[in-house]
Amino acid sequence: MDISQKRRTLLKVIVLGDSGVGKTSLMNQYVYKKFSQQYKATIGADFVTKELLIDDKLITLQIWDTAGQERFHSLGPAFYRGADCCVLVYDVNIHKSFDRLNNWHDEFLQQADLDNAETFPFVLLGNKVDLDGGSSRRVTEQKAREWCASRGNIPYFETSAKEGYNVDEAFLCVAKISLDNEHVPDIYFPGISETASEAEQPRSGCAC
Amino acid sequence: MMKKKKVPDWLNSSLWSSPPSSAAAAVPSPTPSEPPPPYPPLSVLDPPEPRDSPVIDHTDPPPDDAHHHHHHHNHNHNHNHNHHRSDRDNDNDSDDAVSSLPSAEEISRQAQILAELSRKVIDMRELRRLACQGIPDSPGIRSIVWKLLLGYLPPDRGLWSSELANKRSQYKQFKDDILMNPSEITRRMYNSTSCETDDAKCESRTLLSRSEIPHGEHPLSLGKTSVWNQFFQDTEIIDQIDRDVKRTHPDMHFFSGDSQFAKSNQEALKNILIIFAKLNPGVRYVQGMNEILAPLYFVLKNDPDEENAAFAEADAFFCFVELLSGFRDNFVQQLDNSVVGIRSTITRLSQLLREHDEELWRHLEVTSKVNPQFYAFRWITLLLTQEFNFADSLHIWDTLLSDPDGPQETLLRVCCAMLILIRRRLLAGDFTSNLKLLQNYPSTNISHLLYVANKFRVQSV
Repeated sequence: MDISQKRRTLLKVIVLGDSGVGKTSLMNQYVYKKFSQQYKATIGADFVTKELLIDDKLITLQIWDTAGQERFHSLGPAFYRGADCCVLVYDVNIHKSFDRLNNWHDEFLQQADLDNAETFPFVLLGNKVDLDGGSSRRVTEQKAREWCASRGNIPYFETSAKEGYNVDEAFLCVAKISLDNEHVPDIYFPGISETASEAEQPRSGCAC
Repeated sequence: MMKKKKVPDWLNSSLWSSPPSSAAAAVPSPTPSEPPPPYPPLSVLDPPEPRDSPVIDHTDPPPDDAHHHHHHHNHNHNHNHNHHRSDRDNDNDSDDAVSSLPSAEEISRQAQILAELSRKVIDMRELRRLACQGIPDSPGIRSIVWKLLLGYLPPDRGLWSSELANKRSQYKQFKDDILMNPSEITRRMYNSTSCETDDAKCESRTLLSRSEIPHGEHPLSLGKTSVWNQFFQDTEIIDQIDRDVKRTHPDMHFFSGDSQFAKSNQEALKNILIIFAKLNPGVRYVQGMNEILAPLYFVLKNDPDEENAAFAEADAFFCFVELLSGFRDNFVQQLDNSVVGIRSTITRLSQLLREHDEELWRHLEVTSKVNPQFYAFRWITLLLTQEFNFADSLHIWDTLLSDPDGPQETLLRVCCAMLILIRRRLLAGDFTSNLKLLQNYPSTNISHLLYVANKFRVQSV
């Protein structure tokens, strides 16, 4: 299939959540299919891209993995600008990381300077469901789903970055709802050659 | 170019003043520096300390075929590196290469540094001049030189032993006072029968009868002043410190793994960061401080002098305080939008780049729309510790610490040089490729990088 002929769409995704919930791990699992117990703390924001095909359409997900510590929040606006979707992450074993989802959610909406704040798409990931075989879990799936419902039916995924569980599914959903939300069609893409070469490799199962 | 920093009054006042017993631990103002010495190119020899494994970049750089085209062949317009001398030919592009044999120049500089260090009163200007060219990796030298450069050791050697004894016992006192469990604090508070200071509050406390525990100090009280409330707040910070210390240089056995040695080193890093956070409530702990502390502690702990190594934790604490004194504003969120905060520091980098390479500046910021915050935030706040392998970071720090213009000015010049060294690739790149490149900076020849950075020294005066 001649990918270069296709329309390319760039979607910007911001990943937010408390320090240590596994944002970097999720991203690395999704993009590089790798997991490490020891990722360094993210300072500022790390940037990766991933290409996938949805309905014959070539999508470049531009994923921003942000720092979890509160100190870095004031830097948010620079990173949030132009976002198409916000992925919230908490650790199902740490209640506090769930409690703080409201802060992350509201702060993002305040800082991102959106013209569609009411309909802006979020996705929630409850990570580390593998831990201790689930016995150290502190937030039930039901509770998480209730929160999602109260926030305008945010899609919810339980994930394990460590085991790669549900990660592709979650980000496929992220891509799809970003696409629905996308209001600026194609973004100026001067260095097409660089990304095109990456796209030549076969991509994972998201190309449904 | 040494800007007079305007620190808001509130930061100067209560937040930065330390508790009475700890005057020396509050971040001091930077020490005045001497005028710039002549600045010949550095030579980098073999990596200094044992590196456990090839350094793995935490961001897992994506495969990029273009990387190896780069190195220092990628020179550009405004400097001609043929001028600088043969020592560059000894440099290794690959870090694990041959040159375990120091060059003649290296040996002579080592001899000069040793000679300087053996004087009764060390000429700091001369030491800076020598150290600026790179500190030899022979055991123990960097440890002493960094302590001197950071002002932890006075130039007069005669004062060293008393000064060290003094600081080390002071640190022990901090540990006793600060790392104590709150139940122990409250117990002591109410058991204390005498009070050595003339502090009025303290006196009134001693008047409390033992049975009378005020509301505020009951563990279940949520009073703002409660020691316990403080404790719960602290717990959050301590958890954060703990999490970050455990993931400091996960690729090095010195810091990471299950060995007793690694565990004790982690414990030391943790203690230092907790004590710093407690003594500096205006800054507290900010993620990334662990990365700034790590090289200091590593160098001091590897001192062949057993006593120095044994007191590495105490010494590293004070050195950390000194180092952060020049950078603290970058860590304070309330200052992010002020003239001294991280944003304006990043803007200064952008201006510096524009001054020296307007074309590159324009392409990066205007054409490909790479906001310098996206990469330079980490470069600057973590003093380049994440952008190069550990050994290379130490060499960069030799220059940051010894340059008379001060670490921040020097750091900005090095960052600017980093951009210019890869200008061709940046000029050919779009937003995505440029940001990826800058967040995963290719390994480069450090001595050349420092040489280029030195070219940006303001020539006036």
